[in-house]
Amino acid sequence: MSIKSGYFKKHLHVDLTKGSAERLDLSDAFVEKYIGGRGFGAKLVWDNLKKHDFKIDPFGSENLLVVAPGPLTGVYLPSSGKNSFVAISPATGLYGDSSMGGGFGVELRQTGIDVLSIAGRAPELSVLFIDNGETNIIPMPELKGKSCLEAEGMIKERLDTHALHVVTIGVAGENMVRFACANTDWSRNAGRTGIGAIMGAKNLKAIVVRGDRDLPVYDVSGLVAEADKAYRYMEKHKYFKVWQQEGLMNVIDYANAVGILPTYNFKDSVFGKHNQINGATMLEQYKIGDSACFLCPMCCGNICLVKHGKYTGTVVEGPEYETCAMLGSNLGIDDFATILSAARLCDELGIDTISTGSIVGAVIEGYEKGILSLSDLDGREITWGDGDAILELIQKIGNRQGIGDILADGSRRIIEKWPEMDKIILQVKGLEQSAYDSRASISMGLAYATSDIGAHHTRAWTIAKEIEEGQNWSDEERVDIVIYHQTLRPLFDMLGVCRLPWIELGLNERHYENFYKYVTGKEAPLKELLKLSNDIYDLTRLINTRLGMSRKDDSLPYKVWANPPLTGPNAGKVIDREYFQRLLSLYYQKRGWDEDGIPPAEIERRFED
Amino acid sequence: MKKLTVIPEQCSGCRICELVCAIKHFGVNNPKKAAIRVLVTYPHPVMRMPIVCSQCKVPTCAQVCPVDALRWVEGVVQLDEENCTSCYKCVEACPFGAIYVHEDCDLPIKCDMCGGDPECTKKCPKGALRLIPVAVLAESKRLNNVLSYTQMKEIEFYEKGEKKIIHYAEIGKEEL
Repeated sequence: MSIKSGYFKKHLHVDLTKGSAERLDLSDAFVEKYIGGRGFGAKLVWDNLKKHDFKIDPFGSENLLVVAPGPLTGVYLPSSGKNSFVAISPATGLYGDSSMGGGFGVELRQTGIDVLSIAGRAPELSVLFIDNGETNIIPMPELKGKSCLEAEGMIKERLDTHALHVVTIGVAGENMVRFACANTDWSRNAGRTGIGAIMGAKNLKAIVVRGDRDLPVYDVSGLVAEADKAYRYMEKHKYFKVWQQEGLMNVIDYANAVGILPTYNFKDSVFGKHNQINGATMLEQYKIGDSACFLCPMCCGNICLVKHGKYTGTVVEGPEYETCAMLGSNLGIDDFATILSAARLCDELGIDTISTGSIVGAVIEGYEKGILSLSDLDGREITWGDGDAILELIQKIGNRQGIGDILADGSRRIIEKWPEMDKIILQVKGLEQSAYDSRASISMGLAYATSDIGAHHTRAWTIAKEIEEGQNWSDEERVDIVIYHQTLRPLFDMLGVCRLPWIELGLNERHYENFYKYVTGKEAPLKELLKLSNDIYDLTRLINTRLGMSRKDDSLPYKVWANPPLTGPNAGKVIDREYFQRLLSLYYQKRGWDEDGIPPAEIERRFED
Repeated sequence: MKKLTVIPEQCSGCRICELVCAIKHFGVNNPKKAAIRVLVTYPHPVMRMPIVCSQCKVPTCAQVCPVDALRWVEGVVQLDEENCTSCYKCVEACPFGAIYVHEDCDLPIKCDMCGGDPECTKKCPKGALRLIPVAVLAESKRLNNVLSYTQMKEIEFYEKGEKKIIHYAEIGKEEL
């Protein structure tokens, strides 16, 4: 059975250098094979790489930026407001993607396209405006230097309407900070892999979409019945209310209790003052509202306001767990208002809070250990928990001032400049590690090492399960769970929906094969969809290996091998290098890649069409 | 008689209300065809406000309608689809901007209360949209007003060993 609905089968390609926009047709075979989201992105990026003989400068006009929602984006089912940004990442020089929530992807689809790709570089700072069937590149030099939030406001004012969606970059994106974000709905970010920096390199300050079209759904009433079952399940879940109230902030207490909370740049994995930065503190003193992505009942976005002290008046959407951990305990900050202020600053500059928290933490530790001198720091001392100095440093990164100019190029450049920082900074393939301590869970280590974008938890998040029930897992079980996560989780990014209903509230993944069926009219069992997702994992691997990556890059930060957490339940734990290498070999074997992690030629042939 | 009541403080901006409205009335997956929309402002002020017809008993929209196609009947301002000319005078006149237009649709899009059982109030995951009998409208505000009455006095006392506070207003004193 083939696709009957679910797609417009249109691909909008914009060339900013030529100032051209064309709507291309997508074939049935293409949409069936690549589904959408990162699947479309990986394929278009792969084709573009081949066109340029695998020589692409992430900041060059040849780097193709793909913006791709999925066939389920915006249709009636829980948490369907996601879309992916895919390109060659300036942080890693490899395949990069990042997804964002909010309503942008929904409205992008409503303009009547399934995927947008952007090549070239605009002659001056511009805004791409897709207004239903019409596409214009509008120079707006007046937006230069404006924050993400200001720019969104100014664009809405200039176009005289609220009823559209905007993705912006901040100063950091303009300055091509290698971990700059793309920001939408004021504070929802495609945070990782430097998507904002690519927009900056393209002189593209914002993408604006206004779409009024019906989204194609094969069987609306079937979909509504299935979705309502899922909604009712979620609403009855015992943690549903906690999610509505605290969102991801409820993870702080958990991470601290099980000893995986990054503390003092991962020197430790429990934070003595965690209860000053947890969900309860937020609820009691700071939270003033909820924020949800499109069609999401969980509303994990918290809106917080600082009501007293020197940061009074700071409003921020968030923080969530990663932000609060990386800009909080990881930097020794025990004051929630300071975290909010740092999070707001990151939103304005448009930089990723994970990479920023990781790099600032490494700078503090580097200075403490004497690797960085006071003159390296432009004469401004920085220590754990020093909110003012930390905010100043973040500001310098976004604006590329002083030491900020080096830090803005990410961990690779930092290690080049100060080789001893290799032992301090936590990164894989040039992407700074997320806020889950893999020393407590070797499967999490394997997940970071083999993630196609670098040390991010989006591809596989096995840490909680291993801590809870996996202490005696066999090697095989450890590898299998990583591969299962790396297959299922990216499927959500291909379909264009959020994974939280599944991972956090246990919504049965079988719902998604039904959603897919009702939207596209094609029956595909989950197994078949997972197979397609697995193919994309092969494809992103192929992109990376053809760009020069191999087994040696599937490694972990020095601290994971050598420096155990000082206290807490995982005190003394590190990952054994030899055991890790054994697991890695088994992982390659199960994936059908060779001993050096290279996919065989027959895998490459699958993506020739 | 019941009123569709919006409690914006509870709204998360998820827009489930928009889509269920559009699906119910048009059978299509398009939030731009809804008779309810969530307007978001940020950060000054932080607000998420679902905007939907208030079913005014003295409707401005009906007053400006040149063909008398809008009438308040039993708690709902009803649109006479036969007579409406789609001049959109009502759209511009509504003081809340609660009547919508979509290019595909011949008529203005206006909340009809789903015949008394609004889909949006059933599907809102936050309880921000409620169907409330008009007799109890604003009751919580009245209660709050009583509880925050500034002339109240308090005494502490112990009940089964637990400390409690009772509030009271002293009668018979004129402190004007």
